[in-house]
Amino acid sequence: MSDEKPIVENNTETLLKTQSETKTSRRKFLGQAAAVSTVVASGSVAASNLPPNVPAWQKTLGKPVNSNPYGQPSKYEADVIRKRVPWLTPDSIASISFTPLAEIKGMISPNGLAFERDHGGLPTIDPKQHRLMIHGLVEKPIILTMEDIQRFPNVSRIHFIECPANSAMEWKGPQVGRLQFTHGMTNCCEWTGVPLKYILEEVGIKPEGKWLYAEGADSASMSRSIPMEKAMDDTLVVFGQNGEALRPEQGYPLRLLTPGWEGNTSIKWLRRLEVTAEPSYQREETSKYTDLINPNDPDKKDLIGKAYMFSWIMEAKAIITFPCPEKPLKGHGKYVMNGLAWTGTGKIKHVDVSFDGGINWQEAELNGLVLDKCWTRFSIPFEWNGEELLIQSRATGEDGYVQPTLAQLRKARGVSSIYHNNAIHTWKINKNGEVESVQV
Amino acid sequence: MSKSNSLLKLSSALIVALSLSACANEPQSEKQQKHSSAASTTTSSLAPAVPDYHPISIKKGGFNLGKEASKEEIAGWHIEVGHGHNLPPGEGSAADGEDLFDEQCSSCHGSFGEGVGRNPVLAGGEGTLSDKLKPERTVGSYWPYASTLLDYTHRAMPFPSAQSLTWDETWSLSAYVLYLNDIIEDEEFVFNAESYKDIHMPNEDGFVRDKRPDTHNTRCMKDCKDPASLNVKTALLGYGSGAEDVVEETAVVKGHEVGQKVYDATCRLCHGNGLAGAPKLDDVLTWENRLKQGLSQVHKHAIDGFKGQYGVMPPRGGNMELTDEEVKAAVDFMLKDIEK
Repeated sequence: MSDEKPIVENNTETLLKTQSETKTSRRKFLGQAAAVSTVVASGSVAASNLPPNVPAWQKTLGKPVNSNPYGQPSKYEADVIRKRVPWLTPDSIASISFTPLAEIKGMISPNGLAFERDHGGLPTIDPKQHRLMIHGLVEKPIILTMEDIQRFPNVSRIHFIECPANSAMEWKGPQVGRLQFTHGMTNCCEWTGVPLKYILEEVGIKPEGKWLYAEGADSASMSRSIPMEKAMDDTLVVFGQNGEALRPEQGYPLRLLTPGWEGNTSIKWLRRLEVTAEPSYQREETSKYTDLINPNDPDKKDLIGKAYMFSWIMEAKAIITFPCPEKPLKGHGKYVMNGLAWTGTGKIKHVDVSFDGGINWQEAELNGLVLDKCWTRFSIPFEWNGEELLIQSRATGEDGYVQPTLAQLRKARGVSSIYHNNAIHTWKINKNGEVESVQV
Repeated sequence: MSKSNSLLKLSSALIVALSLSACANEPQSEKQQKHSSAASTTTSSLAPAVPDYHPISIKKGGFNLGKEASKEEIAGWHIEVGHGHNLPPGEGSAADGEDLFDEQCSSCHGSFGEGVGRNPVLAGGEGTLSDKLKPERTVGSYWPYASTLLDYTHRAMPFPSAQSLTWDETWSLSAYVLYLNDIIEDEEFVFNAESYKDIHMPNEDGFVRDKRPDTHNTRCMKDCKDPASLNVKTALLGYGSGAEDVVEETAVVKGHEVGQKVYDATCRLCHGNGLAGAPKLDDVLTWENRLKQGLSQVHKHAIDGFKGQYGVMPPRGGNMELTDEEVKAAVDFMLKDIEK
């Protein structure tokens, strides 16, 4: 594989080139982004490989076993990769990549496709030299090696992670015309690690210890304050991801996982936990990751210009992954709509789907496993005869919370919030089968 | 004691089943409860001893793993600064911080904290938080506590060289940023753990603890809204006048060349600060000297990388995502004011 070139260029590069060659306006740039999104990652079809002929690959020997000691996807999947939006962040180091949700074939994001958010770049850490220090308001401050940590009892759990900035670009209007960029700041993996409570019990928390400060070993020393209730509940200290060691992008060799909470509270490259009496008011929980609100609600005038702090929970969200801008409809006939739903409060209870922009709804089927704080698949069959449709999906959690409309969110918070946009999203299916991102 | 007896005793001691009181409700932990022991594989002419399992109970905190952290070890890593606690030693004034800011911070944040390119604006924005479309969140207008400024400056700034500032430098730079925001008015004011309590951030009371859910949608299934109310806004047509502001906020600044975009994102780290021997943009003599070899050679070095007498240019500035054309555009942007 390594000696074979991808047959289709990375679309991000294509986009950059498109932009640099034409020096176009950003609006046109985004329009083109939508247009090139339909590039198909497969070669031309040769009749000699189709019935009744025997395809070429069947008439010669294949490559030796273990030609790729660490497996790689087929070269025909070369465009199924994480991508960045080059203009989104000031540099490519404190930046983010997006999961290609349209290409995810189940409820797990493969390790190579799980979105990555770094605040000070991606560190390269030797696990033999990595240490976890636990101190502060504890009876016995300790330092653990990776070997020590793996001697504690460990569990495996499947949970989503979502960056609170997921869909942030859509607050004021539809901006980015692809599923990967409207909703791709999420992943869902099987995480293996030690329940944090075992480690905290080991050091003995003093009664005044109410908060846990967590810090990474990256250049940003990425840090958040976590209340002790969450630390003692379902928080894990994770070293495994989908059956192998954590990927560097996910915090190798060690990360925190706070299921259902803002992704950045799951501190990557975890090096230090300090038990404190108060939150530490880190940059990433004051200056950033707080929701400035300007409600469009006359009853909430007192909240104008205020900001919500410690909005930890990622609330219920569902998104249709087929059809979507990257996966248009190819001709009239029967299709199965697919999607993913999740909520940081527990399990998904229902997903409802609308074909008319939210006037009428019908319940979709939940497919496969329905787990706590985990991507849940949904589907519903439909027949398309070339009409324009406005398709939406709406998640309901087992706690009864129903995913809001964009109008409801704007009423509650205005449009100046950056984070926590979990509004119902709308795809418009055009008469030619192409799919656009719209708002209604 | 006979050989077999001693083996049996060894087995009993080593072969235990963990019964963890701390995780009695964890079904996953059961998988780990049985550990075989090296003792059971010891060769013996006798029949192998049947392991005699005696579940042990590990009480909370009974693993005794790791080593105790010493005061010195903790001190070296204990970097966070809290609001009014964990305040670091040292001190500094805005006057002390000004030159340091110009030298180490202004290439990204601007001489007055106004922000260069899309890097964070540090000063200004006072009174804009209630602006529905364009609130400006700066240290002065938004940050609730000055401790966060000390903390973040020391842990993560300057962006390319984290934890390089002394605590005196950190106090000085923080004082200077507060001075740019008119929060410290006297440039000689000595900012330290003692005077910290005299500093009050304007937006200290601007934060409320989240009380979600703050929306209350229902699972309406039929005739949930008036079809006439559907107003389809396609991508890029936006939401009233707001869309323009999103474009301003998150996008390439209009009118900027690709070169500047690439420079901002990749090259400025070194060429803005003069790191790794990189000539800064206003270093006219060095650039003119390099241009003597021809612009195409400068392009080539930028694309392929170059190790010279004074420094190192990594290929494509270290960003392999860039195309040749983008690297060339960045070089051309950097040399736009240099006579060729």
